[in-house]
Amino acid sequence: MALPLKYNIRNLVVRKGSTLATAASIGLTIGVFLMVMALARGIDLTLATSGEPLNLIVLRNGSTAEMMSDVSRDNLNVVQFLDGIAREGDQPLISPEIITLIYKPRKGQTQGGNITIRGVGPMAMKLRSGFRVVEGRTFQTGLPEAVVSRRISERFQGLGVGDQFRVQATDFRVVGLFEASGKAFESEIWADVNTLRNASKRVSFTSLLLRAQNSSQLAALEKRISDDERLKLKALSERRFYEEQQGTTSMMLKGFGTFIALIMGVGSCFAGMNTMYAAVANRTREIGTLRVLGYKRGSIMVAFVLESIAIALVGVVVAVLLALPLNFVSTGTSNFMTFSEIAFNFRVTRELIIAAIIFGVGIGLFGALLPSLRASRTKIVDALRAT
Amino acid sequence: MKYAKLVIRNILRNKRRTLLTVSSLAVSLFLIVTLVTVLTEFTRGSDEANPLRLISRHGVSLAFHLPIAYRERIATVPGVQHVLPYHWFGGIYKEQKNFFANFTVDARLLQAHSPEMKMSDAQWQAFIADRQGAIVGKKLVDRFGFQIGQRITLKSPIYRISPEVIIRGIYTGGEEKTLFFHHEYFNEMTPAWSKDKVSTFGIMAKKPEDVPRIAREVDAMFLNTDAPTKTENEREFAMSFEAMMGSVKTFLYGIITAIVFSILLVTANTMAMNVRERTNEVGTLKALGFQRGAIAGMFVGESLALAVIGALVGIGGAELLYRSIDLSMYIPNFNSFTPQNWTLVAAFLLALIVGLVSVSFSALRVSSLTTAEALRRIE
Repeated sequence: MALPLKYNIRNLVVRKGSTLATAASIGLTIGVFLMVMALARGIDLTLATSGEPLNLIVLRNGSTAEMMSDVSRDNLNVVQFLDGIAREGDQPLISPEIITLIYKPRKGQTQGGNITIRGVGPMAMKLRSGFRVVEGRTFQTGLPEAVVSRRISERFQGLGVGDQFRVQATDFRVVGLFEASGKAFESEIWADVNTLRNASKRVSFTSLLLRAQNSSQLAALEKRISDDERLKLKALSERRFYEEQQGTTSMMLKGFGTFIALIMGVGSCFAGMNTMYAAVANRTREIGTLRVLGYKRGSIMVAFVLESIAIALVGVVVAVLLALPLNFVSTGTSNFMTFSEIAFNFRVTRELIIAAIIFGVGIGLFGALLPSLRASRTKIVDALRAT
Repeated sequence: MKYAKLVIRNILRNKRRTLLTVSSLAVSLFLIVTLVTVLTEFTRGSDEANPLRLISRHGVSLAFHLPIAYRERIATVPGVQHVLPYHWFGGIYKEQKNFFANFTVDARLLQAHSPEMKMSDAQWQAFIADRQGAIVGKKLVDRFGFQIGQRITLKSPIYRISPEVIIRGIYTGGEEKTLFFHHEYFNEMTPAWSKDKVSTFGIMAKKPEDVPRIAREVDAMFLNTDAPTKTENEREFAMSFEAMMGSVKTFLYGIITAIVFSILLVTANTMAMNVRERTNEVGTLKALGFQRGAIAGMFVGESLALAVIGALVGIGGAELLYRSIDLSMYIPNFNSFTPQNWTLVAAFLLALIVGLVSVSFSALRVSSLTTAEALRRIE
């Protein structure tokens, strides 16, 4: 026969000070866990959604990041006429691109960060879904104009519509702001590829982005380009490229988050144990009475475990509610491969909330096991004799 | 202090509770020391910067290089003692996961430029004399077991060359996780697009007061060229790297605050339970003639004792652990992982404050009860 849940709830209310202190300490643990994991999740999601399934990115063989790559104009001429590339009218869907960096101070600070400027071909917007201009207009081919991601424009000085920035000896004018539904290139500035190439005095491109007709053509093109001895290029799907880019940062964050959460978890588990031991000790006579009334050892143990889990759940609920607004917070960090800024949002996903609940319940469970075992083992005679 | 015995007895009365509270405090303080150390290690570069050194890099970004010909022109700026190429090579030893920093430099000037690096004169001479020579920091030796005379190959994904260097010296002091080799040797084998280019110049000034002027004059010299420079003292340069960490700092402060609150709650809860269970005893003590202050003081003493034991275990444990295991070997961009003395002191003070604050409410409440009230209370 199980004890009514009401019994536990009432008990929690009676010792509200203790309940709240323990719940808050568990809540803080869960809160920290959620915050770090939401950051890692944000990076993961930004990168996972960035690559389009049929897109192929072409880099110089051996380069791990776009920054270090180099693709000549001859290479472009060979690649763009390969079979299997999707077409728009009679034009192949391919965008030669060039990236460079500019250094800008952050808003409200003197120190700044590097921002990626991407020179793109006319097909670039068709190759990347989600790109849309939200203020002003897009840049014109052949003119030193640029569109800036809204997120970057908000975080750095001098990148609003109408502002100018310099690449070597050329001044680019910001003519618009864009959004890209949270994809990786939403941390960039875009301009015309040839204008940027002239401005940065480069002869070659840094990479090519192209769209295959279908997935079997994608595999064929990947092999065709990578295996060509003369080209010395490497093609890989855009999706995989982004996954490789930031894998380490998000891995490090996850490791860090788990480490902190585990240590804090041990700490709040001890706190929970303390509370439960006190609860058991204070209620020794009550336990005796329950036993006399016919409740089994098992039911008493379950009752105390449930009580502890209820405390933990109060903490979890508060932590989750406080963490949810993080979904609207965007932040940024530097990619150490390219020294450039990536902006992303915290993401408190459903999986993460479930993980937080499991973690919190786990803390409550472990904290309660020993004390409730003790409660269930109390002999009726001793319990009733206790003061 | 005459109540010390009573305080100790009370602590030992419920050993399990004491143990749990102290352990909870200890793990949390351990975590706080760890996180603060992460923060202090982030800023070590700017804190320990040499006031005489400047670094000149491409005005746009570190990813772009400067012509090596700038070296002679920078050297003509009054107040400059010497200029040396200090070029990021970024070579990989065997596997990507072995990553460590490696630079090409002018070997003849490195000793004068980096007084913090300590190595025997014989090894400096051997390094300078061998064009293929390299020197490595002590921590790299600990990690990879490098020996003098060993030949190692560094594979560069940037330049697609794999120079073989011979270790001629092992230095201590400064960043002990770096390998240096000759810039001339690199320059010979690198592809045309990167020939005669360097990522940064290290500049040594004669006097600290010349440093800001040198920075201004160097930048003015190249202002309207293809490759303008950005010259900063070492501290500013390190800070610009630290700024790239973005919001990580704020993030860590947030976590530390959460932990502090958490231990405050844990200790307060324990003390509240102690005080509540002993309300009757407080009545007895009052009846025996103990003053309010003395009774409150005993509870405060008990809480402080818990905090001190927790602090000694947690902070001491962190100190011992990080002194014996050098975590920085496994964290890229970190050159050491040693808690600073003030971190330990601050964590200890924090524990004392937590001990005080957490007991204040319960102690006040119970000590202000009248004798009759306290004796009447049954729980």
